[in-house]
Amino acid sequence: MRIHDIVIHETDAAGIDAVLGRFLSDSGSSAALLIERGGQPLAERGTARTLDVGSIGALAAAAFSATAALAQLVGESEFSVLFHEGVKESMHVSTVDEDTILLAIFDEHTTIGMVRLFARDACSSVAAILGETRARPRLVGALATPLTADEARRGSEHRPG
Amino acid sequence: MSIINYAARAITFKVVYYGPGMAGKTANLQYIHRCLPEDSKGKMISLATGDDRTLFFDFLPVSATTVRGFTTRFQLYTVPGQTHYNMTRKLVLRGVDGVVFVADSQWDRLRDDVASFRNLDDNLGEYGMSLATTPHVIQYNKRDLGDVAPLDYLEFLLNRGERRAPTFEAVAVEGAGVFETLNTVSRMVLVKELGQIQEARR
Repeated sequence: MRIHDIVIHETDAAGIDAVLGRFLSDSGSSAALLIERGGQPLAERGTARTLDVGSIGALAAAAFSATAALAQLVGESEFSVLFHEGVKESMHVSTVDEDTILLAIFDEHTTIGMVRLFARDACSSVAAILGETRARPRLVGALATPLTADEARRGSEHRPG
Repeated sequence: MSIINYAARAITFKVVYYGPGMAGKTANLQYIHRCLPEDSKGKMISLATGDDRTLFFDFLPVSATTVRGFTTRFQLYTVPGQTHYNMTRKLVLRGVDGVVFVADSQWDRLRDDVASFRNLDDNLGEYGMSLATTPHVIQYNKRDLGDVAPLDYLEFLLNRGERRAPTFEAVAVEGAGVFETLNTVSRMVLVKELGQIQEARR
């Protein structure tokens, strides 16, 4: 399996943001996260309320990939949806494309059926946008020229506080 | 696989600490987490068993300074070292940009080091990658213990390829060698992605 590079240009980000916003209002979900399957969050809507997006991305991607590995053990390529039901908050994770997943957080104001229905539309819209990004150049604007040695050092140096 | 987000002005890399069980992978992340200032680290997550062996992975997001207006973020992961968790190791390697191989320097762990190193190359192969093309460094850990192999021998076992990987001696629980290792692999993944101007030697 070969993993694709992902690059989000400003126009792509605006398009994805609009899709996620529409998904939130249609489905009644409170938050939506687009996550790369390696665990990195790519976009988010409705997550302002103290959600640790980095941790959620890492854990959701791990849970989804573990579930995909389970699916393969019974002869499926993957289980395309993962659902965690809580007392107040629930999570729905679904496949966008071979590189990304969409996570929705919702409460009792909506139903799993509504979330599942509109997640399907949102996933195909986001997949179309991501498909277009692959045709665009990866390094543009400020990143179009190689780094100087000093920039490379500063961009990679971690210093104990 | 690094992710460039022009809208968020951020570049994100995934670095995986790999190696045999109990070599000190988690100890590296714990030390980094303890020492970095609050504004350059996120929350550390450890999915471990009751006796603190890594069950799935440890996760620690860290960031360096900005380059040309882009924040460089590094997501650090460990894998479970125990042999029977290979499926989990494969999953954690997905989308990796750089690897730190943490070897246990003790004589009686060298066989496990070599097996884990081969296993790393095999598992990279699942994603169409290999050690030859993936930025990686080797950390010889536990150098403070008495029964450790000499560096030359460790190099012979783990680092005799055509292109030698940078290596570091370490005592991860005390922090020796930990940041040198992290900064080197971070720079390697950054330069691989964005390139670096070859400056003339004076």
